[in-house]
Amino acid sequence: MSSSDPCVEVHDVHKSFRRGSEVLDVLNGLNLNVQQGEYVALMGPSGSGKTTLLNLIAGLDRPTTGSIRVHGEEISNMSEGQLAGWRTRSLGFIFQFYHLLPVLSAFRNVELPLLLLPLSASQRRQQVTTALDIVGLSDRMWHRPGQLSGGQQQRVGIARAIVTDPSLIVADEPTGDLDAKSAHEILNLLVELKKTLNKTIVMVTHDPKAAERADRIVHLEKGRLATQTPEFA
Amino acid sequence: MKFLVLVFENIARNPVRTILTSLGTMMLVLVVTLVFTVLTTLDKVTTEKSANIKAIVTEKWQNPSLMPYSYAAGLSAGAADPSDSSAVHPQDSMTWGFFVGSTESNPAKRGYENLFFSFIMEAEKARSMLDNIDALTDEQARPLIDAIKRMKEVRNGVIIGEGRLAKLKKKVGDRITAYGRNYRDINLELEIVGSFPKETAQYTDSAIINRDFFETELDTYKAKNNNKPHPLADKTLSLVWLRVPDRVSFNKLTEQILTAPSFTNPAVKCETSSTGISSFLDAYRDIIWGVRWLLAPACMLVLSLVISNAISISVRERRIEFAVLKVLGFLPWQILTLVLSEALLIGTLSGLLSAGLAYGIINGVWGGLPFPIAFFPKFAVPINCLWWGAAMGAVTAFAGSFIPAITARGVRVSDVFAKVA
Repeated sequence: MSSSDPCVEVHDVHKSFRRGSEVLDVLNGLNLNVQQGEYVALMGPSGSGKTTLLNLIAGLDRPTTGSIRVHGEEISNMSEGQLAGWRTRSLGFIFQFYHLLPVLSAFRNVELPLLLLPLSASQRRQQVTTALDIVGLSDRMWHRPGQLSGGQQQRVGIARAIVTDPSLIVADEPTGDLDAKSAHEILNLLVELKKTLNKTIVMVTHDPKAAERADRIVHLEKGRLATQTPEFA
Repeated sequence: MKFLVLVFENIARNPVRTILTSLGTMMLVLVVTLVFTVLTTLDKVTTEKSANIKAIVTEKWQNPSLMPYSYAAGLSAGAADPSDSSAVHPQDSMTWGFFVGSTESNPAKRGYENLFFSFIMEAEKARSMLDNIDALTDEQARPLIDAIKRMKEVRNGVIIGEGRLAKLKKKVGDRITAYGRNYRDINLELEIVGSFPKETAQYTDSAIINRDFFETELDTYKAKNNNKPHPLADKTLSLVWLRVPDRVSFNKLTEQILTAPSFTNPAVKCETSSTGISSFLDAYRDIIWGVRWLLAPACMLVLSLVISNAISISVRERRIEFAVLKVLGFLPWQILTLVLSEALLIGTLSGLLSAGLAYGIINGVWGGLPFPIAFFPKFAVPINCLWWGAAMGAVTAFAGSFIPAITARGVRVSDVFAKVA
């Protein structure tokens, strides 16, 4: 797939939430295209809809109206089962607070998504080892999350996100819980993933320094696309 | 298999909670196992058989039954009229009397520890007619067979159960004096010639003395008391057991006995052993009903609640984790199965372990559950308890964890992470 192919196509998406009798419009006719291999940072004030947009792109929620296509597949029409299978195969999700299972070792945490795929134990072991190698944690694979630093835990989170070799990675403030040094390392790693593995990355962040590392910064405001840096045709 | 490992790892996340839940489950399964042990044994003995029936003849209007020994010969023959070619003749028979006394001469010091409870009977009938002993192989019954042989040689011989021997601090070969309580002033000098087979725990506190020897002792009493017989001399026959092949024979035998003129003063009744035991258990009917329909279900309900509570806490603590699993691609039913499996594993293993320990310790160490009711001083925990225990643990775990599992299944990712953010 060439880098000019659109990976994510968000077209005229509206998303509303109902709170009691009040209807809250979070996204208002939003349009956004992300090319394959592109690294996009979503920024905006709280309540601007960036996390909602991320959840929609990740297939964790459905738009009220509008369409979201990933690699040409209309994910907003998929059933829950289809979405779950699609997430396993095609999507990696990186959380702000890592959300590793505390009882599992780094290896077993990374292996979790592979349990859903028809792979043998040796195939799973191979893929987990490769993913942990990429994030530089192969020497910590049998440590539990409690025995790892925040930066190391986030690396495990990234390994878990890439272990199924998805083309799209979404990250929700991946450096939000890290010190500056660890944050810098994680951002480097994301850039490496984009460059060497041609991953498409959509990242929500409040940190302008983190956003600067992306190819493009998209600002949201009141559920609409406000500005893009650099200007995108 | 790969998910089973995940289930084990999840159970290990909070060992204290898992152990406490497991111990709670084990305690309640133990209680239900003990209750079922008693109930199933009672059910078994009160279930009417269709073949190989034991008929019990007792005095009709008085309890305890005290019939003249002169009834023994006629009843043992089934009151069959010699001129009636169609009369039913019992395949086997056994007469029972009961001698209750103490090995302590001083009445003030008599108690449970020195109690002596004995069947007065033909010793050889113990092998062919006594419940459970009649079902043993010769090899299993060997100690009793040897003891019966000795009883023929030693008229004042006595066979005593292991439990009673231990309480009396006696062993085979020792001599004891049994001071009569129901047969006042009848004191028996006895030589212990053997014990009951280990497989028949119900006789552990019982004893057998020779009918002939006992009748001779009554004659001796009469001789020593100016030819005045003992007040109970003509009431030494409590029961007669008769074995018949089927229900038709039983009905015919009952008719023969009830219509025979020889057994009208006192009148007798004839019933199956299960009916007889049922009648005896009537006194305990309310207790048994309460145990069966209140205690056992209450235990299972409490057991479900214990598991439900533990799993609910676990599910509440792991909401984010379930949301993460959904993000990774786990389907709701897979999360439901994960939670149910954790509960089922704890419940099933705890139930199996509890029942296994109950079976091993109660039967192996105590020789049965000491719950003196009716003729049953002890109840052997049935081997079936192994699957009962496991099944009980599994069913209650399933029931208790179902709602928490549904809750886990329904975790909405966007809600969970909205709260986290």
